[in-house]
Amino acid sequence: MSEFVVTFEPHNKHVIVPRGTDLLTACLRAGIFLSASCGGEGLCGKCKVVVRKGAVKSERSRLVSEEERKKGVVLACESIVESDLEVFIPQESIETHPHLTAESEECAPDMLPEEDLPFKHAPMVEKIYLELDRPTHEDSISDLGRIYKALEDRFKTMSVSTHLANVKHLGDVLRESDFKVTATVGYKDGAFEILALEPGDTTRLNYGFAFDIGTTTVTGELIDLHSKKVLATRIAYNRQAGYGSDIITRIIYGSTPEGLEKLSEAIVSNIDEMVEDMAEACEINLATVGAVLCAGNVTMMHLLLKIDPTHIRKEPYVATVTAFPTTPISEVGIELNPKGLFFSVPGVATYVGGDIVAGVLSSGLYKEEDLALLIDIGTNGEIVLGNKEWMIGAAASAGPAFEGSGLAFGMKAVKGAIQKVSIDEKLGVACETIGSDKPRGICGSGYIDLLFQMAKRKIIARNGKIDRGLASKRIRKNEYGYEFVVAFKDESAVGKDIVITEDDIENLKRAKGAIYSAIISLLDKVGKKAEDLKRIYIAGGFGSYINVESAVSIGLLPDIDRKLYAYIGNSSLAGARLSLLSREAFLKTHEIHKGITYLDLSSEPRYMDEYIASLFFPHTDMGRFPSVRL
Amino acid sequence: MGIELVKEKYSGGINTVEIGKAGRGPVKIGGETTLPFLFEEGQMPHPPIAGLEVFDCEPVDWPEPLKKAWGDSLKDPVKWAQRCVSEFGAKILCVRMQSIHPDWGGRPSDEAVATLKAMAQAVKVPLVVLGCGDDDKDNEALPKASQALKGENCLFGIATQDNYKTLTATCLADGHSIIADSPIDINIAKQLNILISDMGFDPKRIAMHPTTASLGYGMEYVYSIMERARLAAFIGDKMLSMPLALFVGQEAWKVKEAKELGEKQGVNWETATSVAMLQAGADLLVVRHPETARLVTKYIDMIMRKR
Repeated sequence: MSEFVVTFEPHNKHVIVPRGTDLLTACLRAGIFLSASCGGEGLCGKCKVVVRKGAVKSERSRLVSEEERKKGVVLACESIVESDLEVFIPQESIETHPHLTAESEECAPDMLPEEDLPFKHAPMVEKIYLELDRPTHEDSISDLGRIYKALEDRFKTMSVSTHLANVKHLGDVLRESDFKVTATVGYKDGAFEILALEPGDTTRLNYGFAFDIGTTTVTGELIDLHSKKVLATRIAYNRQAGYGSDIITRIIYGSTPEGLEKLSEAIVSNIDEMVEDMAEACEINLATVGAVLCAGNVTMMHLLLKIDPTHIRKEPYVATVTAFPTTPISEVGIELNPKGLFFSVPGVATYVGGDIVAGVLSSGLYKEEDLALLIDIGTNGEIVLGNKEWMIGAAASAGPAFEGSGLAFGMKAVKGAIQKVSIDEKLGVACETIGSDKPRGICGSGYIDLLFQMAKRKIIARNGKIDRGLASKRIRKNEYGYEFVVAFKDESAVGKDIVITEDDIENLKRAKGAIYSAIISLLDKVGKKAEDLKRIYIAGGFGSYINVESAVSIGLLPDIDRKLYAYIGNSSLAGARLSLLSREAFLKTHEIHKGITYLDLSSEPRYMDEYIASLFFPHTDMGRFPSVRL
Repeated sequence: MGIELVKEKYSGGINTVEIGKAGRGPVKIGGETTLPFLFEEGQMPHPPIAGLEVFDCEPVDWPEPLKKAWGDSLKDPVKWAQRCVSEFGAKILCVRMQSIHPDWGGRPSDEAVATLKAMAQAVKVPLVVLGCGDDDKDNEALPKASQALKGENCLFGIATQDNYKTLTATCLADGHSIIADSPIDINIAKQLNILISDMGFDPKRIAMHPTTASLGYGMEYVYSIMERARLAAFIGDKMLSMPLALFVGQEAWKVKEAKELGEKQGVNWETATSVAMLQAGADLLVVRHPETARLVTKYIDMIMRKR
C-alpha cells in the first residue's frame, strides 16, 4: 500500500498522502499551517507535532528533547509518513491564530467594474457565434477554412489557429448545427487560437477567473465575461506560508525541484479550492471556464509556474521572467478546462511585479496629467510615481503587518475583523467590525485607526511604547512586554481578549516607516516633494475602508490635502479583471510594464536614513507633519 | 585686492546647559552659534570643558598605565575625587556608579548612594552622575542618587531610547539635567530628545551623547554624526540643539594601542581622540587620565584665545 491516511487532531482533519510524504506537507494539504520559519529545513524547531498512532521515519533532531521524544514529539518537516497516522498538533506549532482558517472566505468585491469599461469589451477568451454559409460547389472552401475566414474577417487578422483535437469531428458538428456554431477564441501573443467549437449559440456562457496572488493573501474573482459582472469574490491566505512566511525563505525552499514542486502545489491547491468554491456558489460548470488571468508579484508567479526562483535572491537580484508567456491552463496544473488559457500581467522588475502593473492600469495612473502616486500596501509596499509622460516604481520591504499577518490578533479584511476604532478620553474603546459581527481580530485599517487613537490618547509614546503608568484595566503586562486590550473576552468572538502588543506596534511602526520612506525617497529621486502630488491612490487589502486621517497621523502617508487621496481597494485584482475583460487593457499592461523605471531602494544611500527617521509617530521630523497633533 | 572669507550665517544655535550652582561651579556648556572655533562666523560663549571620571569603587578593569597614574587613591573614591579637583584642577567631575552593576558585585543602591553623597560633599565642583549601564539597577539606584543630590543641579545619565522614563521623571522632580544617548544615529538622537521633552522635561536641560568612539575605532562615524546634528541645529532644529557630551576616557582606554604601549601612548590616544571630538563640536569631554585632562584643557585655552 503506497497511500496512507493521516488524521490531524484537534482539527479532526484527514488527508490521504503517498508514502514518503513529510508531515509538514501533509499538514499543508489538510489546510493547517505549521510554523516553519526555516522553510522546512529542520532548523527552527517550530513545527513540533505529536505522533499518537502509527509510524513515521524521523530524523533525530537536537531541537527535540529526550523527554519530548518519549512523548512522540517530532519535527513535522523531518518526519516521513510510513503508515496511517494520528497526529496531534499543539497550539504553539500553528503558524496563524486559531481564529484564522486556511480556507478561502467570501469577501465583498471592493470595486465593481463600471458600467462602461474604460477599455473596449473584448475578453481574452471570447466566444464568437458564427452563422456560416453552407458549402456549395461554387463555395467549396473547407470546414475549418470557413471558420478561419469568418474569424479572420472578424478580427481583421490572418493569425487564427487551432488544435488538431478541435477539428477531428468538426464536419459533423457543423452539419448537425446547421453551420451555426460558437467558437471559443483565446488571444495569445498577438494571435487568435480557437480553443473549442460547439454547436449553437453559447456566447452567454463565458466565464473567467481573475486572481491577485500575493505573498500573504490570494484574492480571486469569478467574472461573467459576457455581461462583465463579477459573480463571486474569495480571499485566502497563501498556503505557501506553511513553508515560510517571507519571500526569501520561500525562494530558498523553491530552489530545489522538490521544494518548487511543493510550493507550486500549495498555491495551485489554493486556486483550485477558490475556483471550485466560487463555481459551486454560482452554479457554473467549470468546463465552460476558459480563462484565468493572474496579477502577482514576480516571485509568486515563478513559484506558481514552477520557474526556478534561485537567481532572484542572488546578486544582482534578477528574475528569470517578469513577463510570463501565455500558457494552456493544463500546464499550470489548475483544475479547469485544460484547453483554456492562463494569462498573467507582466511585471517591471523582480520586486515590482504584475500586481503593481495591474494597479497602474486600474487606477489610471498611466494617463494622469499631473503628478500622481500609487501605493499598494501588501506584503511589500509597492509604489509607482509619475503621470502619462513617465513612471518610476520601487518596492519597500514593509512586511505583511498591514495584511494582518505576524500580529497577535491580525487578520484579513473579512467578516469579524475590526476595521474602525475610536478611543475616548477614559480609554473606552469603540470598534466597528466588517459585517458588524463580534470581533475575531483586527485588520490593517483597524490597526491604522488603533495606532492613531492610542497615540492621540497618549497610550503610546511617539516611539510606540505603551505608557506603563496609565491606570486602565486595558493596559497590562504580558509575557514579553505590555499590551492594550482592544476588546475584552465577553465582547469578542474568539473566547479571549483581543489585544495589541508592543511587538505588534513595533512591527506596524516598521511597516509604516518602510512605506513612508519609500514614498519620500522616490519623490526625492525625481526632485519632487510630497506637496507636488496632485493625486494619491491607496490600494491594498483593507476591505472597504481606510481612514486617511489616521494613516497620515501615524506617518504612513504624507501630510498633504486629504482630498487628494483616493482609496481604490485591491487595484491588482481590479487590473486583472480589466485585462481579462479587454484585450486592449491587457495590451496596455504590456506598455505600462515597459514604461516604468525601477528604482532599487536598497542601493539608495539615503533610504536607510529616511527609514530610521520614520520609525516614530508620526515622524522624527515633525515639520513634515504640520497638521498632525498627537 | 584682499580675499574676502566666505562666512556662513545660521539662524539657530545650541542651547546652554548650566551644571552645578553657586558654591558648586556652576559651569555652562553649549551656546554656540557656529561650528567649532570658527569665531568669524559666530559665537562660542562657553569654552568646551574636560572633566575627569571617577568610579564609586575600585576600577578593577582599568589598564595598568591608567591605574598607575592614580595609584592607591583608586581604592578610595572620596580621596580619588578630591585629588581630581585639588591636585589636577578638574572643573567638573563625572561619577560613575559602577559598584551597583551585577557583574561588579551589585552593591545595594543605598550603600552606593551613600558613597556618592560622600564624594559630592568632598568636592565643590559640578557633577555628572552616571549609572552602571544595567537598566534594572540604574532604574533602582539613579532615582535615589537624584534625590540625594536634589538641588545640586547635576547632569544625570544615561537615558537611552529603551530606558529613559525613570531617569527623566526623577531628574524632572529633583531639578537635574539629563544626558540622552543614541547609537551613532542622528534620528534616534532626535527621537529620544522628543520623547524626553514629551514628558514635560525642558529640552534646554538635555545634553546629547552621540556615542563615543576612539581614534582608529570608528571615531570618524561619530564625528560626522556630530557635525550633522550641529548643522541641523544651526538651521533651526530645536530637537537637535543640545550640547554634546563625549565619554572619551571610557573608549580610548579600551583599545589595545592605548592599553599596551605604555602610559604616554595611552595619554596621547585619549588626547588625540578628545581633540578630534572638540573639532567635531563636543562641549563636555569626560577623560580618565589626569595628564589628558591637562593637555586637553591647555588645547582648549589655546584655541579659545583666538576668540
